[in-house]
Amino acid sequence: MKVSLQWLREWVDTGDDVPALSHALTMAGLEIEAVERVGVDTVLEINLTPNRGDCMSIAGVAREIAAVRNTACNAPAMDPVKAASEALFPVRLQAGGACPTFAGRVIRGVRAGASSPGWLQERLRRTGVRPISAVVDVTNYVMLELGQPLHAYDLEKLRDAIIVRFANPGEQLRLLDGRTIELTSDVLVIADPHKALGLAGVMGGAASAISDATRDVLLEGAYFSPAAIAGRGRRYGLVTDAAQRFERGVDPHLAERAIERATQLLLECAGGTAGPTRVTRIDRSDPSPMPIRLRHDRIGRVLGVTLDPVLVEALLRRLGMHVSSDNESTDGRAAAGQAVEWLVIPPSWRFDLLIEEDLIEEVARLYGFDNIPEQQASTPAQIAPWTERRMRNERAADLLVDRGYHEAITYSFTDAVAQSILFSDTALALKNPISAELGVMRLSLWPGLLQALRENQRRQQARVRLFEIGRRFSGATGAEDEVIAVVASGSVVAEQWGEHARDVDFFDVKADVEALLRLTSDPQQIRFAAQRHPALHPGQTARIYRGDRPIGWIGSLHPERQRALDLTYPVVAVEIETDVGFEALIPQYAEISRFPAIRRDLALIVAEEVAVESLLNGVRSSAGKLLNDVGVLSVYRGKQFDKGKKSIALGLQLQDTSRTLTDPEADALVAQVVDHLVRQFNATIRDK
Amino acid sequence: MIDSVHELQSLVATARAEIARCAAIDALEQLRVRLLGKKGEITQLLKALGAMDPEARRVAGARINDAKGALIAALDERRAALDAQRLASQLADDAIDVTLPGRGQSTGGLHPITRVRRRIEAIFRSAGFSVADGPEIEDDWHNFAALNIPANHPARALHDTFYFPDGRLLRTHTSPVQVRVLQQQPPPVRVIVPGRVYRIDSDMTHTPMFHQVEGLVIDTGVTFANLKAVLHEVMRALFERDVKMRLRPSYFPFTEPSAEVDISCVACGGPASNSGCRVCKNTGWLEVAGCGMVHPNVLRAVNIDAERYTGYAFGMGIDRLTMLRYNVGDIRMYFENDLRFLRQFV
Repeated sequence: MKVSLQWLREWVDTGDDVPALSHALTMAGLEIEAVERVGVDTVLEINLTPNRGDCMSIAGVAREIAAVRNTACNAPAMDPVKAASEALFPVRLQAGGACPTFAGRVIRGVRAGASSPGWLQERLRRTGVRPISAVVDVTNYVMLELGQPLHAYDLEKLRDAIIVRFANPGEQLRLLDGRTIELTSDVLVIADPHKALGLAGVMGGAASAISDATRDVLLEGAYFSPAAIAGRGRRYGLVTDAAQRFERGVDPHLAERAIERATQLLLECAGGTAGPTRVTRIDRSDPSPMPIRLRHDRIGRVLGVTLDPVLVEALLRRLGMHVSSDNESTDGRAAAGQAVEWLVIPPSWRFDLLIEEDLIEEVARLYGFDNIPEQQASTPAQIAPWTERRMRNERAADLLVDRGYHEAITYSFTDAVAQSILFSDTALALKNPISAELGVMRLSLWPGLLQALRENQRRQQARVRLFEIGRRFSGATGAEDEVIAVVASGSVVAEQWGEHARDVDFFDVKADVEALLRLTSDPQQIRFAAQRHPALHPGQTARIYRGDRPIGWIGSLHPERQRALDLTYPVVAVEIETDVGFEALIPQYAEISRFPAIRRDLALIVAEEVAVESLLNGVRSSAGKLLNDVGVLSVYRGKQFDKGKKSIALGLQLQDTSRTLTDPEADALVAQVVDHLVRQFNATIRDK
Repeated sequence: MIDSVHELQSLVATARAEIARCAAIDALEQLRVRLLGKKGEITQLLKALGAMDPEARRVAGARINDAKGALIAALDERRAALDAQRLASQLADDAIDVTLPGRGQSTGGLHPITRVRRRIEAIFRSAGFSVADGPEIEDDWHNFAALNIPANHPARALHDTFYFPDGRLLRTHTSPVQVRVLQQQPPPVRVIVPGRVYRIDSDMTHTPMFHQVEGLVIDTGVTFANLKAVLHEVMRALFERDVKMRLRPSYFPFTEPSAEVDISCVACGGPASNSGCRVCKNTGWLEVAGCGMVHPNVLRAVNIDAERYTGYAFGMGIDRLTMLRYNVGDIRMYFENDLRFLRQFV
């Protein structure tokens, strides 16, 4: 909110220069965001928090300054304007507490098309309001000055009476801005007996609007309760000065005074004859603030500092609060070590003071947050759990970083079209996305990572290795689960001397995945099974299992998807659920054999369909516990073998923990393994 | 035999010269055989001693053995020299250019936001906080209502919220996790909650997704003075310098009293530096967090006795702290994942 310093100083002058005043206001909670020189004047831009509707006027800011600087606020003289006619317009209040007070005044014979005087227009401009006509400018001026929004009707366009009521469902209203809106029954309207005339407290209607031909005016100064106005304007895309004030709360005792002030200014700049100010009231609705109990010891328990009760009272009174105490003398009682408490009635303009803590904040604010000392808490030490049964995300990230990956952070929402290239599921769509490219929640981290990869390729980064840890969202329910995802493209190592240039492939990335999952201390349970995924190459894709539970995918991006996503080079992608994937075992020591191991190599020829993993399992099951380790030494396809066959060399390490294994025993064991492989896989042994 | 003294002397002298001239280990070995082998010249002389009378044999034997000893010493000495030469030559051949770069896989790096998030977590852990998390898709109750922000509350206008058709939303702050933690765990509570949050905002200084870390402490006897102490310590630890801190009264519906947290500018050193600093716009102060004492309505919403327990909460923007820590000028760099940016952080 913009405030002219010149205008403000008519109300309160503390003698502070601009920086001192700005600092004082900022440290009291009215943050001065900007200070702008405008000729001889200075305009302060205040970043008002939503609780301080009472400061949305010159009078309100002046009142606040007076309280903060402990000085007097001197409102300029504003005398009521005596009625010069008997003209009245009937008002009926039918919305109960939503509008318990309505001040109206008829002014006839204003000069049609009159403008407001230059000084008034200038003040509007400095506050960011565009001058329009005398009548409109005067209502705006009074709102900016006192904080009471006013509305002016063209009296000739009003019929029979003003009625304040809630709208009928489906009722139509044409607004001042020319739009026609449809109303619901929780929207408060100003109406005549025939139709709605305006959105109460938000914006007037077109039908009764002031124009250059207007001669007779009805001024409205009403109290609308915040609950009846809050959010109604925004529902129709309207953020108006009036609505902002009413939904934060306007002093219910201000309407009449504002009408008088407006009448005075209007007569000065457009002439006319004023009727009497008529205030219509529903007496049973009283929006006055309720008294609040404030305990002195509670102030100390919340703030951590003991304030002198006399000071507390003084601070509250500076803010216009009515402070009473059962105690004869607060001073004496405090001195006697007795509990001190007060009943505090906030001023009618403060809508944000409802409970004891609200008052404590007011006391602290005026006392100065800076004056409250920092104090270390004497919290007893609590040992937080620190489990070893999960691999930490940090460890996983560190491993991938050490293996050449950069961590990326991509948006949780993504482009529906690009995502549908990879996934057939329908993603959860946002109702109000920031753009179509960020319109749906991601089903996987791949869309975002592949986009980042593509942008990097476009920036001449041919070698890209990225990972991200984050959540993906189920398309049907939005259920979140955390995954770690990897994309790799380009050369397996950065271009360098002495290394053969080769593009990263499935097995390079699989080694990274294996290294990652080895951190769970449970590598035996990890399994890769050839399966199909719509985003991935049908012949280069594995689903990753931990025991029986699928935990993720690894594969080369399907060449068609790669083309559709405009990716220049092939990509290997991984995604693993951390929930099950990162569960970890606590390592258990196993005895190390003191006896020498025997190495035996086997060269087998098997059909292409035989997966190496099943061969290894066959070796393990047939060799028994003397098998210490088995590794794949080579995989070879060549003309010397029949088509559809491949040669696989395995290295077996045999060892006993209690004695030295003999060669004949090793030979017998290998024979047993070979026998099993021949029977199970129809393998033949290749002569060396 | 009269000549034999001269012969022996001449033999030794010739052999010494040959040994000295010998340039290869093989040749030296042949020379050793020729002199000292089974049929070697010295060996032959020793064999011939058997034919002599004992006195002459003693004298001649001693002489020949002296010569033999001298030749062995010469051979050994030459051998050592040749070995040393060979090693030196081999070492010279093995020499590499040690300034060539190392080979193999290079390392990647952590995102700068992660670096700062980890720092924040470590600092708070050292102060006895544990780390909690909560869902990013939230319901209205947790994100707003339970935090004392009922429907139509003006504060909602400050949270431009992404909604789903069923009325759920993307959390606009990490504060709903306050509620979730308190629903699960009775006081005392001492947690931080780092995570992603979302608001409809995208310009030079805003991204529609960003990171916050929420803090919540609920216990008996927790005060605003404690809050000030913790935040100041954390800021000093995070920036590794003696930053000043001030709290400005502010407004959050879920805390009362509420404050904005400013620290002295880490770029220019703080107020009164008058350096025309662009980071703090020459104010000397940087707004880094919001905080306050937990509003009794929030405690009541989760059935905690607001009379017995007090607490504080705070929220800070990790992305902004990252900008300040690493001098990142453009917040939009964070989610573009440009490798030229990411490589600057290991």
